[in-house]
Amino acid sequence: MALDVAGRRWALLAMAACLLPLLLQLPLQIALAIAALGVAISTLSWRRPLPGWLRFLLAGAVILLVLTMSRYSIGRDTGCALLAAMLAIKPSETTRLRDARSLVGFALFGPFATFLLDQGPLSLTLALIGVTFALLALQRFADTESGLPVTGVSPWRATLSVWRLIAIGLPLALAAFWLFPRVGSPLWGVPERSLARPGLSDEMSPGGWLDLMSDDSPALRVRFSGAEPQPSQMYWRGPVLWNFDGRTWTQPSWMRGLPPAEAPRAAAVWDYEMEIEPTDRRQLVALDLPTAAPDGTRLSGDYGLYAERPLSALTRWRVRSSPPAAFEPRLNVLLRQSALRLPEGYNPRTLALARQWRSDAGSDDAAIVQRALRWIRADFAYTLETPLPGRNAVDEFLFEQKAGYCEHFSSSFVVLMRAAGIPARVVTGYVGGYRNPIGNYWIVRRQDAHAWAEVWLQGRGWVRVDPTAAVAPERIYDTLDDRAAALVDLRPVWNTGDWLRRGWNDLVLGFDATRQERMLRSFGVARLKAGDLVAMFALLAVLALGWMAWLIAHSERERDPLLRAWRRLGSRYARYGLQREPHEPACDWAERVARQRPQNGEALLALTRRFAESRYAVADDRQQRRDLVRALKAHRP
Amino acid sequence: MAGARRQTLWRRLQAWARPRTPEALPVAFDRKRVYVLPTRFGMFFALLIVAMGLGALNYNNNPALLLALLLAGAAMASLITAHLQLSGLVIEALSAEPVAAGEPLLLKLRAGARDGRRRLGLSVRHGDAVARLSLDGSDEAVLPVPTERRGWLDLDRIRISTLRPLGLATAWAWLWPEQALLVYPAPETQGPPLPTELGDSGAARLNPAGDDVHHLRNYRRGDPQRAVAWKPSARRDTLLVREYEQPRSAEVVLDWQRLAPLAYEPRIRRLAHWIDQAERENRRYQLRLPGQPALGPAQGAAHRHACLRALALLPHIDGA
Repeated sequence: MALDVAGRRWALLAMAACLLPLLLQLPLQIALAIAALGVAISTLSWRRPLPGWLRFLLAGAVILLVLTMSRYSIGRDTGCALLAAMLAIKPSETTRLRDARSLVGFALFGPFATFLLDQGPLSLTLALIGVTFALLALQRFADTESGLPVTGVSPWRATLSVWRLIAIGLPLALAAFWLFPRVGSPLWGVPERSLARPGLSDEMSPGGWLDLMSDDSPALRVRFSGAEPQPSQMYWRGPVLWNFDGRTWTQPSWMRGLPPAEAPRAAAVWDYEMEIEPTDRRQLVALDLPTAAPDGTRLSGDYGLYAERPLSALTRWRVRSSPPAAFEPRLNVLLRQSALRLPEGYNPRTLALARQWRSDAGSDDAAIVQRALRWIRADFAYTLETPLPGRNAVDEFLFEQKAGYCEHFSSSFVVLMRAAGIPARVVTGYVGGYRNPIGNYWIVRRQDAHAWAEVWLQGRGWVRVDPTAAVAPERIYDTLDDRAAALVDLRPVWNTGDWLRRGWNDLVLGFDATRQERMLRSFGVARLKAGDLVAMFALLAVLALGWMAWLIAHSERERDPLLRAWRRLGSRYARYGLQREPHEPACDWAERVARQRPQNGEALLALTRRFAESRYAVADDRQQRRDLVRALKAHRP
Repeated sequence: MAGARRQTLWRRLQAWARPRTPEALPVAFDRKRVYVLPTRFGMFFALLIVAMGLGALNYNNNPALLLALLLAGAAMASLITAHLQLSGLVIEALSAEPVAAGEPLLLKLRAGARDGRRRLGLSVRHGDAVARLSLDGSDEAVLPVPTERRGWLDLDRIRISTLRPLGLATAWAWLWPEQALLVYPAPETQGPPLPTELGDSGAARLNPAGDDVHHLRNYRRGDPQRAVAWKPSARRDTLLVREYEQPRSAEVVLDWQRLAPLAYEPRIRRLAHWIDQAERENRRYQLRLPGQPALGPAQGAAHRHACLRALALLPHIDGA
């Protein structure tokens, strides 16, 4: 069946709307190329389809182009780009209704592919718009096929009817979503790039963190049950860096194999649930220090928390932490050596200074730590504007610039301590958090990434020292409140936005096999076999379908309560064969009924008169109308 | 072979579909007689959704899964909507003006609904003819039904269907009206003029009034155009018709017996032709058929209908 011009326009519009969210996620170059291609081909083939050989050539060229632009890496990104490109050249052969329908059908993969790359609010909104346009196009095609375009339906009404279909389908979709059996692990392929954004890395080199510290998107959301620590005590401990090569701090790989060190705890205990945004790494963060590893994670020797699989999707963890009374009070020789190792031939001035301090202090390690902190507090400044260092980065920082951020402070401090013979290590993670009063949870943003130091002191074990806090505590513990105060107060908007986002995370993004089981358990279903789940799903699907049918059948009911009551009254008489004929005026009907059923004729006549007056004659007040509706409802034949 | 087998199968399926016997109008469609099946595109769409769902489950991508499920939900809702478009529909009346065999009979269908639901995109099909059915009462669906034989025309099942809202499924219901429609015999095309020879009653009565105009009256529907008095009409702004004391022409007798040399069906066609001819010439005529009382003499639409009906209903003699 041939496609008319308006139908073609609809097909192209739906395609464009579905393609848009996907293009926004692709690399800019590729996205622009595909968009240009789509527009060019739609224009060229508007009057007649391109010849077959040309389409063939075009498809080949497009595949080659996309592969070249994505540097021959076959994977999800390239797959999505190819999908977008294929969609863009599909209009070249869209002349028949069938082509248009398949175009719209395939276009629906646009939003689908978008979700594989991004699940943010913008993508969601655009995807919904795309789906709406696709369904509108399908509706239009249905009219075309019946050969008799439906007239007199405004675009707005058409859109509403499409939304109505979606809304009516929603319960079924949700039932399926929460009950459909989930697979624990992928059936095929492992995502090569997930939705993750690089979070904390497991290394630290000069200037390497600047991107991270300007990213204000959330890294994790935390809800405490019970006691909450002070924001200044919220040190979210991540990778612990031991190895230094003069420039970069890295994590030793052997540390993961060690059992967690001995650490007797203090009285305070914090129970919390973390919702960690995807990072594609296995390292989790936790408050100083976790008491045990939650299911699916392991603790390393230095209390790093590692998941069994990379965190490629939103994950939730229940953790209990408690501050240590003493953290590894007996340090073995090997660890001690690692915590003292410095690269040969770097930072001579720092080494000299440290030796000087050591001879001044004798064996009092704590005095050296205090002296270093005093010096930093007195002479140093906090800034994010630092030049890239030369070979002796620590010397340059300590004796020339005297300004920097957490990376410089922690790194230099640890080098200074090691040079003075005190075991020390760099700890990275997040500090602080912002409490969202709506929903009562804490948000830690990537921007809150921080690095500090731990020094090992005789009798106390590892002690946290934050040299940056000595200079700029406000810079570290600062919260959104301080920042927002300067500008227009947008906090309520932001809070609500993040709260909604969290709800979406909670209900949709973070839902997996484990959570499904937990959800069912809360309904009293103890242990579910796959079969039970399918049966339950089928049952709910049938219920939802029935509900849908009822909803569609009844959603057109009369909205005016007065008319509704009046019709009900009429249908009550229908049981006695006395229904009102469509052409029969109200009063004629009442008289006819009164003749046949004189026992309640008077009442009916009076009611009918009141109804007719209220509807056609005088505009009575609300109270009277309500009374009339009640009377109509009460009347029985 | 395969085609024949498919037809047999189709007929057997048809016999199963409701309604199983012809029925009197008005007919209200209840849910038992509305059928819904996915279209080809609907199957393709289902395949798309399954592919999406598998992909989403594999990557554990919940928004993608939700998208697939939402589309599936909307598709299910569209199936139900399609069903409800038909259920509750009432076919109120069906009518057709009789036509001569060979000409299409224009079947007019009027529909209403038992509830206030919006119904769009309903189409009616009979054979190859398709028409739109709208419920606002302003227009009727008109379906041309081909006719071949004179006599009663038994209607086939009429299919009322919709592809709305998304074209994923088609919902349909059969209407099998018991109402039989009359088909007049096809008139002879190049027939001879009316018989000049008068009936066996002897000389026709002459028109006493002759050509004299008796009076003018207002135009009524069905008046022959040549009776219109154009000049007086132009003066009065309404159409006026000359009325004669009696039609001016002589009566004519159309007798079955007199056409003896002609075969059976050609005789009927000749008579039909003469009836039309007499109407055109505005003459009174009488039809005599064997074994029936003579019709007329008279003239006008009712008489013509009575005569043509009698001819149409003459028994069919096969082979003749």
